[in-house]
Amino acid sequence: MGKQYEIPLGAQHISLLEPLHFKFTTENEKIISTDANVYYVHRGIEEACCTKFKFRQVSFVVGRVCGLCSISHSTAYSQVAEKLVNIEAPLRAKYLRMLVIELDRIHSHLLCLSHVAENAGFEALFMKTMQYREFSMEMLEAVCGNRIQYDFSIVGGVARDLKAEVAGMILQRLKTFLPQLDELVDIFQNNWTLSLKNKGAGAITREAAMRLNVVGPFARAAGLAIDVRNETEDLLPWKEVGFEMVTDTTGDVYARNMVRLRELYISIRIIRNIIASLPESALVTETKAFPDGEAVVRLEAPRGELFYYAKGNKTQMLERLKIKAPTFSNVAAMVEAFTGNEYGSAPAIIASYDPCLSCTSR
Amino acid sequence: MKTFFKAIGNLFRKPVTIAYPEVKTYIPNDYRGLIGFDENLCIWCRRCEMVCPPGAIVFSQDMKGKQTYHFNRAVCIYCAECVRACPKEGAIYQTNEPAGFALKEENINNGWNSLFDEAIKSRAAYAAEKKRLAAEKAQTEKPGKSIAPGDEAASAENEK
Repeated sequence: MGKQYEIPLGAQHISLLEPLHFKFTTENEKIISTDANVYYVHRGIEEACCTKFKFRQVSFVVGRVCGLCSISHSTAYSQVAEKLVNIEAPLRAKYLRMLVIELDRIHSHLLCLSHVAENAGFEALFMKTMQYREFSMEMLEAVCGNRIQYDFSIVGGVARDLKAEVAGMILQRLKTFLPQLDELVDIFQNNWTLSLKNKGAGAITREAAMRLNVVGPFARAAGLAIDVRNETEDLLPWKEVGFEMVTDTTGDVYARNMVRLRELYISIRIIRNIIASLPESALVTETKAFPDGEAVVRLEAPRGELFYYAKGNKTQMLERLKIKAPTFSNVAAMVEAFTGNEYGSAPAIIASYDPCLSCTSR
Repeated sequence: MKTFFKAIGNLFRKPVTIAYPEVKTYIPNDYRGLIGFDENLCIWCRRCEMVCPPGAIVFSQDMKGKQTYHFNRAVCIYCAECVRACPKEGAIYQTNEPAGFALKEENINNGWNSLFDEAIKSRAAYAAEKKRLAAEKAQTEKPGKSIAPGDEAASAENEK
């Protein structure tokens, strides 16, 4: 037994973009145990949503919880508020929400993949992935009018319609993106340098993933078929538009990369199906009711299951709003998956978890 | 190995970066930009102010009842919720022009906060003045009613 050292990583670290702290206990560069601390930031968003903003304005506030999955947050809130005021969004609004969620998933997954490449020491692949990601940002700008804060989903429906020329542009850009995605898959699958840091690193077994309640691509890479899109049909008709579960078996960084890349193909298919079969209807269901009662909504954000709880008391202000972000569910498994790995591969492993601390610590 | 040869080949390819100031990047023509306001069309219902999530719109009111529209581009989140709430088409609209920078002289944060408070106060002052005028008017119009309770009291005292 060698001497044990404690090495801190974070809350500010060159390989971490998020205020996340890990304390590794290492022995001969092998990590034997890990301690995590996530709550370094508190913005008081939940409190603000219940005291400062009317319930119709909250969908814009929660859209600013996270820059990467802005649409997931505002859609989940819109759905929970629709449940509280007893309305249902029109079918066209549902399809447009799914379209933007999937475009958002493309850009979020590519961002995560680029960070895995960067933290594994492959700068050039980072640049390449970010370059290919640009199309999804531009398409989101064309659909929603803004690159990051979409403000697309509002209580009762969506804010903007999809124009025919924008739909055509999306299809055309997807056509040029597909060979680029094939190229990325080829590099992530076959590059020998990258495989040294990816294959076998940060592995978690299916049993451990199940025990620790892992969600999102992290769980699916370990072979756990968990996806909210597969489970709920009432709010967004995912199966109608061609959703398919993507799973892998090994549960390491490589498997997570592959799950994300293969999910992009599914996303592209969903986007194509939505544009091909966009139903004609109104965009917003109007109502003058005030929120009353309690409601719960689950939605598959790019990082996993996003959970919203809201309680209304027949006034403009909500009584309670609770957000549970996917990263929060994954922290326990993150700590577990480090065990037995080299300290040097920790940055790439963290990037492959795709932690989003702005969602987690609001 | 394939990546290696590809990297060598990249030496002879054109750069993928774009010459930005000369070549414009893509901006959609319905980009969410500055909010415009048409005073002639406005019906002064203040619904835009009510729905605005960050409070970037406020109406002040002078003592004659004339309202003035104030908008802060640094507070606005360009969500166009005001445009959707507006009952009069075209009174408030969204342009595709991006918001400009704020200069120090503009005092865009603290200046706006005091302007916002003053605007709310000016409206409260006008409402109070209106209420006072209405009460005065009611008194002058129906003088008999205000005397009546006094009479009753007097008659009650007489009875005692």
